[in-house]
Amino acid sequence: MKSNVAVTDYGAPERASSKGKAQWPRVPKLAISLISCIALLSLWEGVTRFGLVEPLFLPAPSQILNRAMLMNDQGILLGHVVASTWRVTVGFLLASLVAIPLGIFLGFSPLSRAVFDPVLSFLRPLPSMSWIPLSLLWFGIGESQKYSIVFMGAFAPSLLYVMEATKGVDPLLIKAAQNLGAKSKDVMIEVILPASLPQILSGLKVMLGIAWTCVISAELVAAREGLGFMIMNGKEYFQTDTVVLGMVLISITVMATDLLFRFVEKRILPWKA
Amino acid sequence: MYKTRRQLLASAVALTLAVGSPGLALGAELEKAKVSYGGSAWLSHYPVWVGMKKGYFTNRGLTVDWKNFSTGSARMASLAVGEIEFGGAGSISAIALMASGTKAFYVLAAPDSYATVEGIITSSDIKTVKDLKGKKIGVPFATSSHVLALDVLEQAGLDPNKDVTLINLPASDTPSALRAKQVDAVATWTPAFNTLKAQANTHVLLDAKEFSLYKQYNLGPGPDVLIANRSFVDKNPKTTTAFLDGYFEAARFIAENPKDAAALLTDLTQLSPEEQLAVLKDIEWIGRGEQQKIMTAGGSFTKGLQSLAELLVRYKQIDKAPKVDDWVKTGLMQ
Repeated sequence: MKSNVAVTDYGAPERASSKGKAQWPRVPKLAISLISCIALLSLWEGVTRFGLVEPLFLPAPSQILNRAMLMNDQGILLGHVVASTWRVTVGFLLASLVAIPLGIFLGFSPLSRAVFDPVLSFLRPLPSMSWIPLSLLWFGIGESQKYSIVFMGAFAPSLLYVMEATKGVDPLLIKAAQNLGAKSKDVMIEVILPASLPQILSGLKVMLGIAWTCVISAELVAAREGLGFMIMNGKEYFQTDTVVLGMVLISITVMATDLLFRFVEKRILPWKA
Repeated sequence: MYKTRRQLLASAVALTLAVGSPGLALGAELEKAKVSYGGSAWLSHYPVWVGMKKGYFTNRGLTVDWKNFSTGSARMASLAVGEIEFGGAGSISAIALMASGTKAFYVLAAPDSYATVEGIITSSDIKTVKDLKGKKIGVPFATSSHVLALDVLEQAGLDPNKDVTLINLPASDTPSALRAKQVDAVATWTPAFNTLKAQANTHVLLDAKEFSLYKQYNLGPGPDVLIANRSFVDKNPKTTTAFLDGYFEAARFIAENPKDAAALLTDLTQLSPEEQLAVLKDIEWIGRGEQQKIMTAGGSFTKGLQSLAELLVRYKQIDKAPKVDDWVKTGLMQ
């Protein structure tokens, strides 16, 4: 018997008409996304160009593009992107380097978890912005202050992700390794780390996005470049196009780093790919 | 006959009071009896606060609702969308909003001048602006102090992008940054300016009188302006005039009675009466009579504001200088 369910090239089932009605043509997903983007941008351009919305409140895409070209000609656009990306990278890597081993250890050891839990519960809800006054006193106004803000914003949630991933490892695997004579250190490195790695990486991917929100806070004070600085300075001068350009660049940069992260994930976890 | 004459006299007095008392006469004629004002603890907002406390607005049949804003840009955005009708702003914010192309507001007046409470303060080994070469200067970006720093560096032949490192710091953080030697100098305004000025190991390198436009137009780097929502002013000229009358009556009261005004202002600023009085002494209030003269197209303030807009373009802070005259509204103060 012939099925009346067709499958499009992007995987969504599509019910075919049994009464000879015209079928929707199969359109690639990329084309649909492209069309929706063009439609949205055209609508956006239209409402601003025809004066339905004042550019102060929503600048036209063409105005944002012009701003990007102007800042590029001035040689400052790439500097903002690089400065923020570097701050995110350093802060995030430092947070990961501390959170991964500590999280595995805490996930493995209930006693240590009991010791650290109150500190973690205290740190976890603190927004990165709340660290600005202390970070200025501790680290001054240089780059280390910015890294510290990203670090503090990313560390506690990353630690929790790693702990939860570690706690989720099948106890049978741990028991089996211990029965075969593995020491605690071996169990952690040889069993828990590989078993929890997919979840840890998924958590870190989420944390990378959060690290980008932290860098905006980090660049509020004592910064002279960076996308957060660019957005805040644009706000002060009512240059909404600069503000939106900063937002767009953050999104593009996060997408690019996400792709890079996926590439690394595939290399580290080929079975997951 | 005598009785009748007395009655006539009483009627005449009553009539005079009714016409002469703004509260009774104007109150009935105002298009709107309530307006909102966007303010903060900054000195340019003092007349509205004092006017509210002294009843200078209610005497004119006008209730003013005070809305507090922590940043000038938020205040101006709120005014542009009509959430508040009146507000005070630094002229740099006002010029930036003009440059964005919006016509949503008017500049009604330039109420004060305070060139001696803003400037650059350095550690004691820096004696001239040229000594700042290679140094770090803490500056609240996008403010009058930022423009002052750019201007005096240029006057001294220093390139702000190459010869010094400008670091964006909120004005309130400038004293601690200089004390902790995180920067070699700060450009800031009162109360941070006065705090640092009073300290040992620091000295005032220059104040806003060194600003190029001050020398030319007696205009500081970021003079305050009284602004209003354009559509509100166009539709409610009598209410606007009543507001301005109350505003300048309060400004005159502050200028003539600084001690009494200081006592009224401590609620707003949280300064001690002595500190408040010291701040008041540094302000020069530009009276209502002078406003018409300085705010017209050829007036010194308007010309100075236009030059400031052109300066901001030269320092790459805005793209294009607006024709500021298009935003200045005169003729509301008789």
